[in-house]
Amino acid sequence: MLTVAHISKNFGTLHALNDVSFDVHDGEIMGLIGQNGAGKSTTFHSILNFLKFNGAITWNGQPLTADDYNQIGYLPEERSLMPKLTITQQIVYLARLKNQPAKVIKPKINDWMQRFAVKGQPTDKISKLSKGNQQKVQLICTLIHDPQLIILDEPFSGLDPVNSDLLKQAILAAKQRGAAIIFSSHDMSNVEEVCDSLVMLRNGKVVLQGKINDVRNQFGRTRLFLTTDWTADQLADLPQVSAVKALGDQRYRLQLADETAGPAIFDAVTNGQYIQEFSQQPPTLDEIFRTKAGGSNHE
Amino acid sequence: MNKTWIVTSETYLRQTKSWSFLLLVLMPFLFIGMTFGISYVATPNKSKSDLAVVSTDVGLRTSFIKQSGVATTKKYASVKAAQKATNRSDINGYVVLKATNQQVSATFNGPNEIDSGDQAKIQRFLATAQTQLNVQRAKLSTTQQQALAVQPKFKQQLQKKTASDKAAKTISFYILVFFVYLILTTYSSITAQEIAAEKGTKIMEVVFSSTTPRKYFNGKVYGVLLMIVTQLLVYLLGGALVVQFAQHSRITAGLWQQYASVIGKVLHNLLSINLLFALAAVLLYTVVSAFCGALVTRVEDAGKASQPVIYLNLLTFVMAMAFQGSPSSGVVTVFSYIPFFSSYLMPLRLINATATMPEAIISMVILLATVIGSMWYIGKIYGGLMLQTDELGFWGNLKRGLSLK
Repeated sequence: MLTVAHISKNFGTLHALNDVSFDVHDGEIMGLIGQNGAGKSTTFHSILNFLKFNGAITWNGQPLTADDYNQIGYLPEERSLMPKLTITQQIVYLARLKNQPAKVIKPKINDWMQRFAVKGQPTDKISKLSKGNQQKVQLICTLIHDPQLIILDEPFSGLDPVNSDLLKQAILAAKQRGAAIIFSSHDMSNVEEVCDSLVMLRNGKVVLQGKINDVRNQFGRTRLFLTTDWTADQLADLPQVSAVKALGDQRYRLQLADETAGPAIFDAVTNGQYIQEFSQQPPTLDEIFRTKAGGSNHE
Repeated sequence: MNKTWIVTSETYLRQTKSWSFLLLVLMPFLFIGMTFGISYVATPNKSKSDLAVVSTDVGLRTSFIKQSGVATTKKYASVKAAQKATNRSDINGYVVLKATNQQVSATFNGPNEIDSGDQAKIQRFLATAQTQLNVQRAKLSTTQQQALAVQPKFKQQLQKKTASDKAAKTISFYILVFFVYLILTTYSSITAQEIAAEKGTKIMEVVFSSTTPRKYFNGKVYGVLLMIVTQLLVYLLGGALVVQFAQHSRITAGLWQQYASVIGKVLHNLLSINLLFALAAVLLYTVVSAFCGALVTRVEDAGKASQPVIYLNLLTFVMAMAFQGSPSSGVVTVFSYIPFFSSYLMPLRLINATATMPEAIISMVILLATVIGSMWYIGKIYGGLMLQTDELGFWGNLKRGLSLK
């Protein structure tokens, strides 16, 4: 388990991190979200000991040692490989730096290349690969040594939906074998789909954290999606409805002032009859992100 | 496996497998080979330079071929055949040997004057043959023969500071200074550009998530050091082969014998503590080059990274050249203890015998302490410098890098 306890980091007068704390358990995927400059990469850099910081970071209750770094798989935000090396040379070199013998890693390379659908041969030079394939090779470098702690900084950026799915499968497979995983993302649908928990940062401070459903539910089930032949004006007149948005084809999204108004609205709209859709939900992560991760006026 | 060693071996293998390194190492041998090749082509072919020996006295002919030391061919035994071969330019000419009336004689026939060396050898052979003939004719006793065999002796005792000594010093100085200048420039560029390029590709975050910046930095420096050691070993081995070849080749053997004393002194000056000064200098310049490379933030600026070190090397080189004629100058004495300068100036003093071995050792200790100190300090700040990727200018990058770790 990774424990980040009260870490703070200043760059001159800039407070990059301010009393950030969270845990990531084995077999758990945690999303670290926040706007650009919120402190996500600084958090990762602190875990990896790239920076001096105040506070404590422990792995299984102990400060991270040089040996622990062999169990870490890290994908930085800025993709980078050594262009003059071949795919095999690059993967083996970085794996050897994780104390993995070449003879253990080499037989795995073909399998991992197939898993990520890398177009190229292991003997191809990195410089000959497309940007997307280079990114996949870097993902292989991050995961091939079966790390116990996986840190992925914006892993989905630049990946098309098909390749995003391949990455999600790899992340979920790592979770299955018990790895603790943290990744940052701007795409809340990926976080919602893959993560067990999240930490949201704003200006270096934690503004939200917890299990995904708990976080969503703490905002109340105030979104109501329904499909009805009622008009928008009729819906707006219902009690506790603060806003109505037409989504087209007699579909509407209602904003409720109080989530307990749901049953009464259900009774009014259905009048005991069948309707195609009536779904009362908490706000999406994307909506929460826009609310919480934005400016101070949303606080 | 030790991660420093992994980085060392990776750096070493990647660089030594490159064409640029192979060319760098083999270039001197290619030049020497080309020089020998051109000389060989330009010098008349051995078979064409031979002389034929013609004589009715088979014994005399055989002993001339075996003992005279003149390059001869047995192919042409008659005047007619030898004349034809000479006309065809297959041989340089022929010698007709005679022993008539108890007198040995030789007549050279050829299109050009005989080589003075060959002429001397023929005369020596004739003198020996004539003496043997005379001794036989005089019917001397063994004691008398031994008495006549006594030869005069000639010895030369040279003073310590001779012209050849001075030439050896000058040659040693130039070889050493240019060698050190070239390897420092080369390895400073290689190191600074490789590190700047690595930093530019942003791969350092991945590397530093696996090993400490200090281990990585040390591995890089050791890798470059192994490269220079490889280059030196190739030069030493190749040099030994060239020496063997030069001593026995007909093109260079004469020159070698003539300048054996100078060559010996030059080799002695080069294969001494001066070589250690060169190695230590490469280490120091490599460490500082790595530092300069780490201060660059973009791949495109990799070329600029080595400039400060190259200018420093140029300054020390120019200083060594300027003070070449005055190795006992106070400036040289002082600077021969200052790292960066000492690699040029202490060897200059040693070659000219204006420094003692203890002084050289003190200078070497200061140089090594500086190398170790810089490795320790730059290893400490290396992580911060390599992870600092904002473009803030030289001092800004340095300040920001120092603040990270």
